Amino acid sequence: MADSPENRGWIRRLWSWIWTPAVAFSSGFLILAGFLAGILFWGGFHWTMELTNTEEFCVSCHTMETNLGEYRETIHYNNHSGVRAICSDCHVPHEWNHKIKAKIMAVKDVYHELAGTISTPEKYEAHRLSMAAAVWKKMKASDSRECRNCHNFDYMDFTLQETRAASEHQRAIDNNMTCIDCHQGIAHSLPPNYLETYQEITEALTPETKGLAHHQIAENGEAIRSFLISDAD
Amino acid sequence: MLNILGTIGGNVLSLPGILGLALGMMTRRLWLGAALGALVGLIETMLFAGWQFAHVEMLELLIALVVGVCAGSLGCLIRLKGATA
Repeated sequence: MADSPENRGWIRRLWSWIWTPAVAFSSGFLILAGFLAGILFWGGFHWTMELTNTEEFCVSCHTMETNLGEYRETIHYNNHSGVRAICSDCHVPHEWNHKIKAKIMAVKDVYHELAGTISTPEKYEAHRLSMAAAVWKKMKASDSRECRNCHNFDYMDFTLQETRAASEHQRAIDNNMTCIDCHQGIAHSLPPNYLETYQEITEALTPETKGLAHHQIAENGEAIRSFLISDAD
Repeated sequence: MLNILGTIGGNVLSLPGILGLALGMMTRRLWLGAALGALVGLIETMLFAGWQFAHVEMLELLIALVVGVCAGSLGCLIRLKGATA
């Protein structure tokens, strides 16, 4: 009698219940119930994940205050059109597969918040280049996928752009460049000597441009940034 | 490491994991369930690469195939265990 249902543990009883054919419910009932439960579960899962895309969620950690302050000075936060790009618009892909990957990888941010890796301004500055380089690497590898959710060369009317912007965008098309090649520091301050690091990233990801990487980055990045930031003011 | 874990998680919660499991549950042949899962993994990787093989990252393709095979096989095992007839 040791193996009678009453003597089994709850895990074994649950396991047995799961695999025993249902006799009290019709197949239609089970299919409908499963379908509804699926909608509720998936809807809840998706809704919860969307909550982690809000600006409030992103900046709820103490270590995000520096990024937030810098971002609030830029054209992506404040501009004449009233369109705002929040953290997730630039840092979280829209496509499901890439989005889940980004969310899982973002677990490291929780760890570093708890470990205090960038908890002081000095620590933040010490890690600024490596943090920026990690984001540039992702953007370069994905052909600035998140920028292109809003910006697209095909939708640009060069006749409405400033002469300099139009010629630089044409150069970008001609040289197969991507947004981040010129627009590093578009939302956050740049560390000193960042261009050397960016050049290394470009050469590592596109070895065929080794020695020619200067063609793949901005010739006047400072001018581009100062123009966009003054436009935000 | 985090990149690999993220890719695995992305595939488990995406087509290879979910559709692979569902297709696996439609057959009692383990090889067929695994093959269907692998097919879903291949199609999803190609879909995200814009159907251009040059844009496919080998690591991502490999992980999608492995996750698809595992999900399809698991689906098939669920069918074997859970269906009485």
